[in-house]
Amino acid sequence: MNMMLPWALLDPLRAEVRSGSWFAALGEPLTEGDLNDASAYLAALGFGSLEIGLARDWPEAERLLKTPDGTLSWWDREEALRRSLLAAAEARYPERALWSSLTELTTEAGDLAHGKAATAAARMGEAAAASIHVAAGAASQAVYQLALARLADQPASPFESKFRLYAAGRWPLGIMGSRLVLF
Amino acid sequence: MTDIVVKTVEELKDAPEEYREAVSKLVISHAINELYGAQVFDEPAIAYAPTPYAKWLTCRVAMEEYGHHVRFKQLGAQMGIPEERMIPGTGKKPLSIFEFPLKTWEEFVAIKLLADLAEILQVEDLLHCTFHPLRNLARATMPEERFHAQFGEDFSAELVKTPEGKARLQAAVNEYYPYLPSFFGGSKSRNNEIFRKWKIKQRTNDEMRQDYVKRATEVAAKYGLTLPGIRQAA
Repeated sequence: MNMMLPWALLDPLRAEVRSGSWFAALGEPLTEGDLNDASAYLAALGFGSLEIGLARDWPEAERLLKTPDGTLSWWDREEALRRSLLAAAEARYPERALWSSLTELTTEAGDLAHGKAATAAARMGEAAAASIHVAAGAASQAVYQLALARLADQPASPFESKFRLYAAGRWPLGIMGSRLVLF
Repeated sequence: MTDIVVKTVEELKDAPEEYREAVSKLVISHAINELYGAQVFDEPAIAYAPTPYAKWLTCRVAMEEYGHHVRFKQLGAQMGIPEERMIPGTGKKPLSIFEFPLKTWEEFVAIKLLADLAEILQVEDLLHCTFHPLRNLARATMPEERFHAQFGEDFSAELVKTPEGKARLQAAVNEYYPYLPSFFGGSKSRNNEIFRKWKIKQRTNDEMRQDYVKRATEVAAKYGLTLPGIRQAA
């Protein structure tokens, strides 16, 4: 068992979270960097090449998230991966230290992302109040997933590229039909 | 009644022992129950949520509940309470509702609708607490607790749109509600007497329970739901 406490290992991620451009590019045209990160995410999650779509405003993002076209297989794959990463992390670190460090990291990330999502929603308008919580939940989940990947020493995880999309101001909404939709 | 106001954790050291013990019990209780709730209900509910929107909203609710645990635990640590006393499974018996693991999305909606209302009443009673760090923590927590109860209302409104959804939600209410009034403690609670003596809390357990039953009945009626009989508090 690795006796180096997870707090120290997660410090670089904490710094990345603080410096991220959370939700700053919602609805903006996709850049090459966005497309590269999205493609890397899809490949690492085992979906191969899919079209990358764009949601242009909050009402469109809300509609897509409430009535996804197709299955939630992308969610299920992420969950299966998260569970395996968690098991690997649990084998490496003392249970309470692991749990406390993840909880404190995601609490901080969630509060930060919540404020950034509220700012984006206020700037763009037309967002339902609950959608700010949804955005914060999605962002803090991405931080939690990446923390597990880092703790399990899995640098090829899709959670790296997923996080980079968030850090670049995007919100990956998931695979809807045959498209990965970014907001 | 005994008049005392403790504005900082530092000042708590000079408070009477009975006051310090009472405040510690409350902080420990909140730290443990917030964590139990997040572990037993909120985190498992993410898998049952039907859409990405509901899943991420549930993620946020779960993280806020974990966050409440973190805040109470941090306050407890400042007060000198050992961490192991603020974590489940280390002595304090859990509330009976935590012994029934979540099985469906409707159960989670019912819990947010009714159990988080009970949590709101508990936090409301701390908004005028004479121990100001705890009062301030209650004020910080309250908007999130209200949002969680609103979550329960919003998804209840969705579920009752179909007869099948309404029946499943009613079944979940029938299963969980009977355990909730006992959340407020016994009628002759010695702890509650001490809390009120020092104005740490404001109301008796029975007053809070009666208020809860009234408000729970009202919110259930908004969605055409009825509440079953309740179990008597110990």
